[in-house]
Amino acid sequence: MALLRYESQVRPPLVEGDKDYHQVTEDICRPVEAKPSRLWWIGFLISAVLLAFGILSVTMEVMYGTGQWNLNRTIGWGWDITNFVWWVGIGHAGTLISAILLLFRQGWRTGVNRAAEAMTIFAVMCAGQFPIWHMGRVWNAFFVLPYPNTRGPLWVNFNSPLLWDVFAISTYFTVSLLFWYSGLLPDLATLRDRAKEKWAKAFYGVAAFGWTGSTKHWQRHEALSLVLAGLSTPLVLSVHTIVSFDFATSVVPGWHTTIFPPYFVAGAIFSGFAMVQTLLVVTRKVLGLEEYITIEHVDVMNKVIVLTGSIVGIAYLTELFMAWYSHVPYEWFAFKENRVNLASPYGWSYWIMMGCNVLSPQIFWFRKMRRNLVVTFFMSILVNIGMWFERFVIIVTSIYRDYLPSAWSTYYKPSIWEVGFYIGTFGLFFTCYFLFSKFFPVIAIAEIKHILKRSGHKYKDGMTEIEHESVEVFADHHGHDHGA
Amino acid sequence: MSIREQFVATKKYNGIALALMTLGALAIAGLYVTQGSKADEHQQARFWAALLHNSVYFLLVVNAAMFFICATTLAWGGWQMAFRRVPEAISAVVPVIGTIAGVILLVICFGNNHELYHWTDPVKAKTDAAFIWKAGFLNKNFFAGWTVFTIVAWSVLGWKMRQLSRKLDEKPLESNEAAKKYVWNNTVWAAMFIIIFSLTVMSSIPWLWLMSIDAHWFSTMYSWYTFASSFVAGVALITLYVVYLKNNDYLEYTNEEHLHDLGKFMFAFSIFWTYLWFSQFMLIWYSNQPEETIYFIKRVGNTAKDSPYAGIFWLMFIINFLAPLLILMRRSSKRNYSTITFMALLILFGHWLDFYQMIFPGPSPDHVPMILYDFGVALFFVGLIMFVTGKALGRAPLLAKNHPFVKESLIHHT
Repeated sequence: MALLRYESQVRPPLVEGDKDYHQVTEDICRPVEAKPSRLWWIGFLISAVLLAFGILSVTMEVMYGTGQWNLNRTIGWGWDITNFVWWVGIGHAGTLISAILLLFRQGWRTGVNRAAEAMTIFAVMCAGQFPIWHMGRVWNAFFVLPYPNTRGPLWVNFNSPLLWDVFAISTYFTVSLLFWYSGLLPDLATLRDRAKEKWAKAFYGVAAFGWTGSTKHWQRHEALSLVLAGLSTPLVLSVHTIVSFDFATSVVPGWHTTIFPPYFVAGAIFSGFAMVQTLLVVTRKVLGLEEYITIEHVDVMNKVIVLTGSIVGIAYLTELFMAWYSHVPYEWFAFKENRVNLASPYGWSYWIMMGCNVLSPQIFWFRKMRRNLVVTFFMSILVNIGMWFERFVIIVTSIYRDYLPSAWSTYYKPSIWEVGFYIGTFGLFFTCYFLFSKFFPVIAIAEIKHILKRSGHKYKDGMTEIEHESVEVFADHHGHDHGA
Repeated sequence: MSIREQFVATKKYNGIALALMTLGALAIAGLYVTQGSKADEHQQARFWAALLHNSVYFLLVVNAAMFFICATTLAWGGWQMAFRRVPEAISAVVPVIGTIAGVILLVICFGNNHELYHWTDPVKAKTDAAFIWKAGFLNKNFFAGWTVFTIVAWSVLGWKMRQLSRKLDEKPLESNEAAKKYVWNNTVWAAMFIIIFSLTVMSSIPWLWLMSIDAHWFSTMYSWYTFASSFVAGVALITLYVVYLKNNDYLEYTNEEHLHDLGKFMFAFSIFWTYLWFSQFMLIWYSNQPEETIYFIKRVGNTAKDSPYAGIFWLMFIINFLAPLLILMRRSSKRNYSTITFMALLILFGHWLDFYQMIFPGPSPDHVPMILYDFGVALFFVGLIMFVTGKALGRAPLLAKNHPFVKESLIHHT
């Protein structure tokens, strides 16, 4: 018996309007095939300028050394590692959406997965900059790779979570890239077949790897997607777990706590989804894709934000409670005096973190708020400010006052080149995103078609008759009999 | 096609349940005579530890069934509707075991034996610096109040969720609008349960009931770890009932596809449990601070000192991680009734052992007590769960046939 394409009419449609397969292709290819708008050019140029400033900042640091940054003896990690962790965290949503939601068979992922995966790759690229340039003598960066060499006893430290980071992030980047690109193949072939200009035909022709859309291709494609989803799922967890190990394996108060791994992962998904919202709220409007990235998609992602924000909240409170309960004076001091105490030099950053990450997302308990685009956009920014401060709180407030009061420092302020470097990664991120949104379809055409006849508006309207059948009649007509 | 909607517990089923309860009661009585009634404090504590272990473990396991319902409700899941009445029936055990566990916990807290909860000792409470410091949390009144509140809250919210589900049995939803409203109403109650759940199971309750046995020790991961342990066991219990009902020609609309997804849950949450286990163990091992490592030295020993619990510790690690990883990875094993039944039983046992090693090294650090008694006590709770779940299954049709998502579940494929 043929499988019925049906879902409850209680669920809002995931593709709105009166679409058929051809219309889907037309709608999503249009922004790629049209000339870029003036808005696109303005955005692209601003990004490029930011990127240029970043390159200048990094150049200063390479020429004159890390002394160009205001790091000091106590605060050996400041903005740079904060930014690193922040960007890595953002790079979690894409693979979560593409891999874990694929395994969970969540139909709504199809509207947002392409852009989220692209964003992931760009975010990981940005993240990678920080540890690399933080090395100071960057021309020796390849020393982190363990390979037979002539440097004698100079060898990587396998005991260090910082080295595990190298493996975790490069693996994550590779698999995410493969996942994104293999998903793109059918759509690139579509663009190739539609292309009128010579260069476009050539470009998409090479990029599509000779995809013909034969059954065999699809079969392999589906199998590959599942394998990559299976591989990426542990990777989503492992990357931020290992980033958390950078801190938690130490004996620094406020860093060494066992809940760090799962709580970092939850926080990463939280900030990643916020960044997806920031990008998609704008993208859907500018590219006219409101019927594919619907309010329903925004609503669902806001649910993920309130969920992960609350998980992070529970973790914050657990940490705070345990700092007290542990009866370890250093631990309690780090929390009570360096963080919670608003009058302390960095106390304000703790409360910004709490406010942005735990309190403010709670408004997403209300459906009206979840479906309000202005609120969503504002909140998505607020969440990422909060998540930046989370890393700042962890790093700076834990180390500016360590075990030796004589080494305490309170004068850490980033230098212009530290800030410039951070701004530069925004330039890199958005330059990449603008290029992506111009040359590639920001929504997976093939995957939208996959759910169209189940979740498309027009098709759902046609299910009213089925909806009214009794469950027995329904089972007789459509039930399938494997293993009953 | 008509379906068998009404579960009737057979004489054999109830007979087994009652027999297990009797055996269990005998074990409890035996344990009381040989240990609990003695003058030696350690022997008494061993008796109470057995009761604490089993009552808390099985309470968290049956409550995990309600967590499963509420989590899938919040996520607007449809696939589980074909067998949704099964976790509902299991969650009906919460008030029963909750009452038993509540009584046991309060007796231990207010009784004269302080070997399990050292912080309840009035002398130590006044002299031990750590207990003085922690008195704001580790005190009898808070313990009692929060325990009672928690058990009542789980029971009441679980009851409400079951009521909402049954409400539709006689009165189908008239329109699409009514269906949306119904789903919305469910979502609100499920959210309340989840909030209470996160404030209890995922944070305060494991600290109070279990971690305070090692009252000087602390770990922020502890509660999430406990949650993962009891949740995967809860899914295993749901799976066992689904298989049992299928084998007795019930649940016509539940098929291999649903079983496969339950298998995936057992697989995934076994890995998740391991992830939390590793994170906690590795971080404590790596930073090597005596006030933290003491917990694992008691359980696995170190070069200076062997632990009698090392065997149990690593056995439960193999059962809870390696076995699900290797056996449940294949698609075909998740769709095979025998394999899945075997794995569900193994997981339930493995996490029972996990709770055992969480509790017993506290009151009995130098030797593993005669574990056969504990198996006996477990039988009492197994029989009780069987009996009450059987009654609850019979109280309502086995299919929530008017739920808006039930048809999705019928054509579900993984």
